Amino acid sequence: MFREMSPSFTDTHASTLPRVARVLVASVITAGGAALLLATLRTDKAPPELAVLVSEQLATSGVENPVTAVLLNFRSYDTLLEIAVLLIVAIAMQPHASSQPRIVAPSTNNESATNLVLTSLLRWLIPLSVLVGGYLLWTGAYAPGGAFQAGAVLAAAGVALALTERYQFGWQSAGAQWLISAGLAIFIATGIVSGMVTGTFLQYPVTYAATLILVVEIAATVSIAAILLQLFTRLARADVTSPHTSGASS
Amino acid sequence: MNNSLFGTPLLPLAVVIPLIAAIVSLLLTSPRARSITGIGFATLLLFALAPWLWHTPGADLPTSVRYALGGWGAPLGIDLHLDGFATVLLLSTAALVLVLSIYSAFYFAGQSQAARFWPLWWMLVAGLNGVFLAADAFNVYVLLEIIGLASVALVALAGTREACTAALRYALVGLLGSLCYLLGVALLYRHYGTLDFAQLADLAQADPLTWAALALVTAGLLLKTALLPLHFWLPSAHANAPAPVSAVLSALVVKASFYLIARYWLDILSPAVTDLGSMLLGLLGAVAVIWGCVAAFRAHRLKLLVAYSTVAQLGYLFLLFPLAASGTDTHMALEAVVYFIVAHALAKAAMFLAAGNILRACGHDDIARLRGVAGQQPASLFIFAIAGVSLIGLPPSGGFIAKWLLLNTAISSGQWWWAVVVLCGGLLAALYIFKVLNLAFVRVDLPSGQIPQPVSAPTHAGMTLCAFALAIGAVALGFSAEWLVTLLDAGSSVTTFSQGAGT
Repeated sequence: MFREMSPSFTDTHASTLPRVARVLVASVITAGGAALLLATLRTDKAPPELAVLVSEQLATSGVENPVTAVLLNFRSYDTLLEIAVLLIVAIAMQPHASSQPRIVAPSTNNESATNLVLTSLLRWLIPLSVLVGGYLLWTGAYAPGGAFQAGAVLAAAGVALALTERYQFGWQSAGAQWLISAGLAIFIATGIVSGMVTGTFLQYPVTYAATLILVVEIAATVSIAAILLQLFTRLARADVTSPHTSGASS
Repeated sequence: MNNSLFGTPLLPLAVVIPLIAAIVSLLLTSPRARSITGIGFATLLLFALAPWLWHTPGADLPTSVRYALGGWGAPLGIDLHLDGFATVLLLSTAALVLVLSIYSAFYFAGQSQAARFWPLWWMLVAGLNGVFLAADAFNVYVLLEIIGLASVALVALAGTREACTAALRYALVGLLGSLCYLLGVALLYRHYGTLDFAQLADLAQADPLTWAALALVTAGLLLKTALLPLHFWLPSAHANAPAPVSAVLSALVVKASFYLIARYWLDILSPAVTDLGSMLLGLLGAVAVIWGCVAAFRAHRLKLLVAYSTVAQLGYLFLLFPLAASGTDTHMALEAVVYFIVAHALAKAAMFLAAGNILRACGHDDIARLRGVAGQQPASLFIFAIAGVSLIGLPPSGGFIAKWLLLNTAISSGQWWWAVVVLCGGLLAALYIFKVLNLAFVRVDLPSGQIPQPVSAPTHAGMTLCAFALAIGAVALGFSAEWLVTLLDAGSSVTTFSQGAGT
């Protein structure tokens, strides 16, 4: 079946790896997987002590959603570093040229078709996306949601905007650099400032924990949205974002 | 809570300073300001870590320090952890980063890549420091992602077709390694219900699931450390990167994943370690030593030769496991290997910088065409030779002391066959070093018209000085054995997690 789907791919591999080696690799992987499965099934799961601990400490975390409490308070160091990972990707994908002074500017391409259906739909969709993003951000304190989800929704609004081809994005501009790094910068600043008060890096005073988490999450949302949108506009080619295909994909 | 102990409030700075440096260099628009702040932050980082440098011989410093980030403490929160092993690596990283930052300021002067180099560079440093301080299995995964992605982006910075191919392969290998590691961590969490290293060390026992987890964690980290059968990505990635990036990749990045393997095998999951596994790692290391030297000798490009030499030198590090497995000599073996790590880091960084200078001055690094290059590039060849002395293990150099310690441990633990490997490796290293020197110092009697003249930009004197400083450091390390060993002893041993558990 796969041979029919991508003949060139399987053919090149068939010529480089001899049959014996392929069988050998397959049997090693199968045996390894079986052993892993067996080992997992034969051992008991550890008692959920950590989950108990999380629910015990939830009251002092500043939020009511245990996932948000773990991500932005108990294990905030991991989240800080994950935002750094996103920033690395954004830096690595930045264009060389620095010709565009503004983050968003009207497209210089005059031939960009004004797809009436798309643009009038987006007049509704984009404000709605911003609203949903804001809701997801706010609700993260109580229910599933938070910075990553909100950022993804906001980025989707940006992608829709990019698909109209009426705007161009200048990711090398100073404003864009501030946007993509704001999440990490404010996270670190919050950690240091709260550390000066409590004596430990990233330890929030209990009374201010909710506010500080919200500040960190807002900044993270903005940066995540900007980074995702940058990845899209850097990877998307003109032929991919033509109005004909974009209507169906959104 | 240990947070009030001397020096500990500053512990997160080792990660926070590089992160701030990354953001600042991203926001700065002037290239000159970027380089100057880069050097400034590197100096700051070294000074922030300096208390450990000065206070080690005294009793001021606790043997092992824990820092509960966010004030929660393991297992709910994430801890940082510092002992002798981590201190040595942190300090070597800070020192090397300072020299390489100065070198990079000259290397990238007037080039458009500088705008992306500095933020990525600082992210990489943050990841390295984070790994050395890590005390949490999942936290390590995030840090490995930081190191992996930043390294890949830095390799691709060269922009050539070879560099991009190498970077892509490096990215895929790194991803596979990370996922293997993550699967191992998931198994550990399922089995023991904690991610904290000290608690894992406390709970770990020899059973099938722990073996599976150890195998997965080790396989993932071996891919990133490039031990012999898994080394295939290293030569092209390290050889095609810009010079300062090659230096940091060979000197520090592969050592970070080795550091984690050592932690897991000797400390965190030590009850699950079998003699057979240790022997296997040692054997792969021994083959890597021999094969890496042969491949280096056969390499046609200078930077490729230096990269293959890294494959060989990494092999020595894995002799740690069979030597430490004998039980009585664990500490001695670790001392030897840590010494080796620092000596190799300095010598290899110096060598890559020298090779980078030659590449820039001549416009190529084709070994056959470097005939008589010593006439044009005496300083770079001199640096290459000094660094080579340390890599071969000739006295007086850090490499000599490191190999001497390894030989001592091998003989005192009754495993003389590893001593043979160390000696053979030294001889083979001499072959490829002298091959280059021999060619470079040949007197070229051809008329000047037939000698290829330098085509590229001349190297700045600062670049030569930086490489020279590292090479001198590699030799000076041979005279300061005492200092490094006391620094390492501050943490008493590698097994601080299992000792400190429950405190």
